[in-house]
Amino acid sequence: MSAIVEEILAGGVRMAAPLLLASAGELVSERAGLLNLSVEAMMLTGAFAGAAGALATGSAVAGVGCAVVAGLLVAALQALLSVTLRADQIVTGITANALALGATTYGARLLFADSGQTLAGFEPLPVPVLSEIPLLGPALFEQSALGYLAFAVAAVLALGLSRRTPWGLAVDAVGEDAVTADRCGLPVRAIRYAAVLLTGAASGLAGAQLALAEVHAFSDNITGGVGYLAVVAVIAGRWRAWPTLLACLFFGVAQALQFAAPAAGLHLPAPVLVTLPYVIALLAVSGLAGRSRAPSALTIPFARTA
Amino acid sequence: MTAVARHPIVVSGYAAVVAALAGLLLAAVAGTAPGDAVNALVEGMAGTPYAIGGSLNSAAVLALIAVGFTVAHRAGLVNVGGEGQLAVGGVAGAAAGLALPESIPAVAGVPVLLIAGFAGGAAWASIAGLLKARRGTSEVITTLLLNFVGLGVLGLAVHEEVFLRQPVTSAETLPQSAPLPAGARLPLIGSAESPATLIVVLAVAAAIVTAVVLRHTATGLRLTSAGFSPAASARLGLPVGRLEAGGLAVAGGLAGTAGACLVATAPYVLAEHFSSGYGFTGLVVGLLARGSLTAVLAVALLFGLLTNGGINLQLAVGVPAATVQIVQSLLVVLVAASLGRKR
Repeated sequence: MSAIVEEILAGGVRMAAPLLLASAGELVSERAGLLNLSVEAMMLTGAFAGAAGALATGSAVAGVGCAVVAGLLVAALQALLSVTLRADQIVTGITANALALGATTYGARLLFADSGQTLAGFEPLPVPVLSEIPLLGPALFEQSALGYLAFAVAAVLALGLSRRTPWGLAVDAVGEDAVTADRCGLPVRAIRYAAVLLTGAASGLAGAQLALAEVHAFSDNITGGVGYLAVVAVIAGRWRAWPTLLACLFFGVAQALQFAAPAAGLHLPAPVLVTLPYVIALLAVSGLAGRSRAPSALTIPFARTA
Repeated sequence: MTAVARHPIVVSGYAAVVAALAGLLLAAVAGTAPGDAVNALVEGMAGTPYAIGGSLNSAAVLALIAVGFTVAHRAGLVNVGGEGQLAVGGVAGAAAGLALPESIPAVAGVPVLLIAGFAGGAAWASIAGLLKARRGTSEVITTLLLNFVGLGVLGLAVHEEVFLRQPVTSAETLPQSAPLPAGARLPLIGSAESPATLIVVLAVAAAIVTAVVLRHTATGLRLTSAGFSPAASARLGLPVGRLEAGGLAVAGGLAGTAGACLVATAPYVLAEHFSSGYGFTGLVVGLLARGSLTAVLAVALLFGLLTNGGINLQLAVGVPAATVQIVQSLLVVLVAASLGRKR
C-alpha cells in the first residue's frame, strides 16, 4: 500500500510542478488586477519554443532560455492589449490561447514534421539521503533540475507577494484600487506590465518543463488546459499564496490518481477526477467553503481621468 | 484618428485585410501558391451545396450561442460559459431523445429534444445565475469554471454505461451514446445534397425574436435598465437579481439548444468532443457583434464559412487547418485592440 501512496505522491508533485510555477505567476497578475486567461498561451508557446530551441541547438538549457523568451513575448502582447489598449481581458485571453494553439500546431507541422525525435532534455536528479525518506522522499527530492528551479521560482514569486515587501504592497494596491494607487504616485501601468511579464516568464518556464523534463518532445496542444487549471488554482486558493500552492499540489495528486487508481484496482471514473479541481474552485469562489474575495480591480482597466 | 476611421465596420475591414494577408503568407510558407490556397478556401466555404450546408450549420451553432450571449450582456452579465452549457444541453437532449420510442414522428420528437436541450443549458447557467443573485459571485468566474465541470458531466455521460454510453459489447465499443431514434433527428432543409438542418432556421428565428423582445417589449427595457445601472433599477423596484439570473438562463438555454441540435445532426450520437470549442468561438462572435443581433448573424456566418473553408484548405492543398485558426484569432485580437480604448 505504501508503495502506491508513494507513487501517487511522487506523480502528483511531478504534475504539480509546472502548474505551481504557472499559478505563482498568474497570482501576481491577478493580485495586480489582471485576469490573464492567456497563461495557457504562454505555457504552450513556451513548450513549443523550448522544444524548437532544444532541437536547433541540441542543448536543453538553451531550450529553456527560448521558452522563457517566448513566454515573455506572449505576455508582452497580452500586456499591450489589456494595459495599454484596455481591450477586454477575457476576449483577448481566450483569443491569445486560440492564437497560440493555431500557431504552435502550424509551427509543429513545419518544424517537427518527422515525428518521433527525442529532444535534449532534463533527467531526474535524486538528492542523496533525502530522496530515501519514506513516502515524501521520492515526491520531493527526485525532480529534474528544472523541477527544483520551478519550486524555487514559485517560492520567490509567492514570498514577494507578501505585504511586507514593497513590491507585494504595490501589487496589492494596484489590484485593489488603481486610481488611488495612481494618486499615491505608484506607476500603475509599469507595475501591471511587470506583473504580466513575470507571469509570462514563469509560464514559459512551466511550458519548457512540460516539453523538456517530462516527455522530451512537443506534441500538438501539449498543455491541454494546464494553463486554465493554473488560473483555477489561483481562484481555488482565494488569491492567497499558500492556499494556491496547496490547491496546485492537490490538483496534481488528483491527476496522478487517474493513472494510479486503475493499478490499485479502484474504479474512479476519470471525468470525475478531472473535474474535481473545478468543483473545488467553484465552492471556494462562491463562498460555500470559506470566505473568498477577489482583488477589487480584477479585469478593470486603468485610465487616468482628469 | 477621425470618427469615420474608428467606426467599428471600418475597423473590422482593416482587421480582415491584415488577417487575410497573414493567412496568405502562412499558406505560402507552407508551400502553397496564394491563388491555390484562396481557391481551396472558397471551395470549402461555399463551392458546393455540401460546403454551403456545412458552413451554414456551423454558423447557426455560433449564432445561437452569440444571441444568448447578447441577451445576458444586455442584463449586464458576461456569459463565458457557452461551452459548458452547450455540453450539458447536448447531454440533456441526447437523454431525452434516447428515451423516446423508436416510432415517434419527427414533429413530436424534435421539439422534445430541443426543449430538453434548452432546459439543460438553462439549468446549468442558472447555477451561476443563482450564485450571482444570492451571493454576488462574479458570473465571469463561475461560468468559466462551469465550462470545465459541464465537459466533465459530458465525459461521465458517455464513458459510463449507467448513464448514456451505448452497451459495451467489445473492446472496440466507442465511448459514445447509441444513435438517436429517427424521430429525434433534425430534419434537413433545402436540397438533398446539402447537410443544412433546421438549426439554421432556429438560429435566424432566435435572432429575430430576441431583437424584437429586446427592443419593443417591457421585458427588454427592464433587462436593459438592469444592465445599465443595477442600483438605479433596484431603486425603481425592478427585480434586478431575477432579471440577471433570467438573462443568464436564456443565454444558457440557447447554448443548450445548440448542443442538442449538434447531437441531433449526423452522426446522431453524443460523443466526448462534440462541442469542439463552439462555446468559446460563440462567445467571441457575441463580443465582436457588440450587442447588435444583425452583427451576430453576420459575424457567425463569417466564422462558419472560415471554419469549413479551413478544413478544405488542409484536405485539398495540405495547408495546416491551424492557419484558419491563426487568421481568426488575429482578426479578433486586432478588432479587440482597436475597440478597447473607447470603453
